[in-house]
Amino acid sequence: MKKIPLTQVKTNQKVKVAEITGGGQLRDKLMSLGIYTGIEITKLSHFMMKGPVTIKSGRSVLALGHGMAAKIFVESHD
Amino acid sequence: MLRAMIKKIFLIGNPNVGKSVVFSRLTGVRVMSSNYPGTTVEITKGFLVHGRERIEVVDLPGAYSLNPASQAEEVAVSLLKDFPKEDSVVINILDSTNLERNLYLTLQLIEEGYRVIVCLNMCDETGHRGIELDIKKLESLLGVPVVSACAVTGVGIKFLIERIGEARAKPAKATGHLERWREIGLIIEQVQRLSHRHHTFREILEDVSVRPFTGFLIGGLVIYLSFKIVRFIGEFLINSISDPVFYNIYEPLLMRLSRVFGPESFLHHLLIGDLINGKIDFQQSMGVLTTAPYIEFAMVLPYVLAFYVILSVLEDVGYLPRLAILLDNLMHKLGLHGYAIIPVLLGFGCNIPGILSTRILESRRERFITSTLISIGVPCVALQAMIFALLGRFSGFYVGGVYLVLFSVWLILGVILNKTLKGYSPELLIEIPPYRLPPVGVLFRKIFYRVCGFIFEAVPIVLLGVLAVNLLLYFHLFDFISAISAPVIHGLFGLPKETVIALAIGFIRKDVAAGMLIPLGLSARQMFIAATLLAASFPCVATFVILLKELGIRDFIKSLLIMIATGFILGAVLNFSLLR
Repeated sequence: MKKIPLTQVKTNQKVKVAEITGGGQLRDKLMSLGIYTGIEITKLSHFMMKGPVTIKSGRSVLALGHGMAAKIFVESHD
Repeated sequence: MLRAMIKKIFLIGNPNVGKSVVFSRLTGVRVMSSNYPGTTVEITKGFLVHGRERIEVVDLPGAYSLNPASQAEEVAVSLLKDFPKEDSVVINILDSTNLERNLYLTLQLIEEGYRVIVCLNMCDETGHRGIELDIKKLESLLGVPVVSACAVTGVGIKFLIERIGEARAKPAKATGHLERWREIGLIIEQVQRLSHRHHTFREILEDVSVRPFTGFLIGGLVIYLSFKIVRFIGEFLINSISDPVFYNIYEPLLMRLSRVFGPESFLHHLLIGDLINGKIDFQQSMGVLTTAPYIEFAMVLPYVLAFYVILSVLEDVGYLPRLAILLDNLMHKLGLHGYAIIPVLLGFGCNIPGILSTRILESRRERFITSTLISIGVPCVALQAMIFALLGRFSGFYVGGVYLVLFSVWLILGVILNKTLKGYSPELLIEIPPYRLPPVGVLFRKIFYRVCGFIFEAVPIVLLGVLAVNLLLYFHLFDFISAISAPVIHGLFGLPKETVIALAIGFIRKDVAAGMLIPLGLSARQMFIAATLLAASFPCVATFVILLKELGIRDFIKSLLIMIATGFILGAVLNFSLLR
C-alpha cells in the first residue's frame, strides 16, 4: 500500500490517515481535534497555489494550511 | 447544603459550543457571543444567584483539550488548573451535534479528577440534523450528570442549575490519547443514532462556500453586499432621522441660546462655537453643543449602527471562518494565516476589540504583526464614517482612494514585517462551524449592546475633547505647536500648518480630528492626504493603552516606531506624487 500526502488526494475522496509526520505539537493539536492515524476523513476542497485544504472528519469540517496538509499522509487506493 | 461547598463554577468546552450564551443565562451578565471559534478571548466572571446562594461563575475561552494550542486556550487551562479541584465545579459544555469530538475534553476533565457536570448545548439542532441521543445512557457511561439544554432559548438551564450540586469527581485512570478516542468510539456507538437524510439547502450552501470557485464567488458577493448595505443603512439614517432632528428641532433651540450668550462671549465660543454667516453650521462651528454632538450622533452613529448590524449578522451566521479560508493564501504573504482576518474585521469597527481578539492567534509574532497592521491600516468605523462625509463631497474616487492606499500600506508593511521579523508563523487550523440562523432577538440584543458601548465610550470623550480644543484655541495655545511643526506639516506633507491640530487631536478621537479638518478649507487633494494620514498614522489613545497591555513595553515601542515611520513616509510620498 502506498502513502500519499493529503495535498495529493482528489477532492470528495474518503481516505484513511496513515501517518502524521512533523512535530509532536502538530500531532497533539490534530489529536485533540480527532485527526489521528487510522481515522477516516473526506477531503472536501483544495485551494490553488498552495492554499488551504478542507476536510470532513466525523461531524466537523476543518480547514488546514497547505503545509500542514502535506504532513498528513493517507492510504492510497491505487 | 451541597452548594455551600462550591466556591467557583468554571464553564469549559470546545470553541464555539455556546459557553458564553450559557454563561449569560446563568449569571445575567451580558457577554459577546458569535458563531465562530474564538469569540471569547478574555475571562469573564459573574455570579449565579440561586435561592439565597451566590456562587462565582467563570466563562473560559474555548479549548479542544487540556493541552493548550493558543494564548486564549492557555489562559483557560492554567486558570482551571490553578484553582483547587475540590472547591470548584466544572460545567463542561458540549455541542450536541458534534458529540464525538467534544467528548475528548470531557474524558480528559473526568480523568484529571474535576467535579464535572456535562451540559449538552444546542439540543434543538439535533432533530433536524438526524441525530438522536440517549442522554440517560451517556450519563451512566460517563459517571457524571448530563443535562441537555438550548442556551439561546433558555431551555434546560433551570434543570442545569438544579443539578450543579450533583457534579462529582469520578475515580478514573489517566489514559493515552488513542485509548481516549477508542473509548469515545464505544460511547458514541451506544448513545448516538444517526438517521440518513437528504442534503438540505443549508448544507449545500455550507459546502459550496468552502470550495475554491464558488467560495470566491460567494465571498466577493458577501463583501460587496456588506459595503452596499452599510452605506445604504448609514445614509438612510442620516437623511431621514438624524439630519432632520438636528436641523429642524435642535438648531432653533441652539440659536436661541446663542442670542442669550451673545456671539462674542467666552461661553458662546465654548458651547456654540463660531457662527458662519450669522448661523450655526453643525460641521464647522466646533462648539461643545453644536459640532460635537453632530459628529457623534449625525455623522458617526448611523454608520456605527449599520456596521454592527452587518458584522453581527456575519458573525452569528458563521460566515467569518469561511472568509478566513479564502484569504489564507494572501495572509501567508504577511506572515499570518487566514484566521487573522477576524481581528482585522473586528478592527474595522473599533481597533480595541480587534487587537484583543489577536489572542486567538498562536504565536507572539503573528499577534505583533496583526496588532501593528490593525493600528496602521485599519480605520475604525467612526473615522470611516467621517471619511465618507469629508471626501464623498468631492468625489467617491477619493473615498475609494483612501481604502486603496491603506490596503497597499497594509500589504507592503505586512510583507516587510514578515521578511524582517524573526521566528515563523504557524499554519491555519480551524474548525468551520455550520451556518446558523440566529434568532432575531439575540441579534438585536447584540447590536444594541455594541451601539450602547460605542455611545458610552465615545460621547464623553468627544464632548471633553471639543471643550479642550476650544479652550486651547481661545487662549491661542495651538499657535506655538503649529509654528514649530510647520516644516513637517507644510514642507513634507503639503498641508496648511493648522492641520497639525487636527492630527494631534486624532490621538484623542479620530472622528473629532476629521471634523476639525472641515473648517480649514482644504483642497480635495489636501483633504485626501490629511484623511489618509489620520487613518494610517497612529491609533487613538484608548487603542494605545490596549496595545501596550497586549504587546508589552518592548514590542509596543517597536510597533510605535513603525507607526511613526509609516506616517512620515506615507505623507511625503502622497504629497510629492499628488500635489506637485
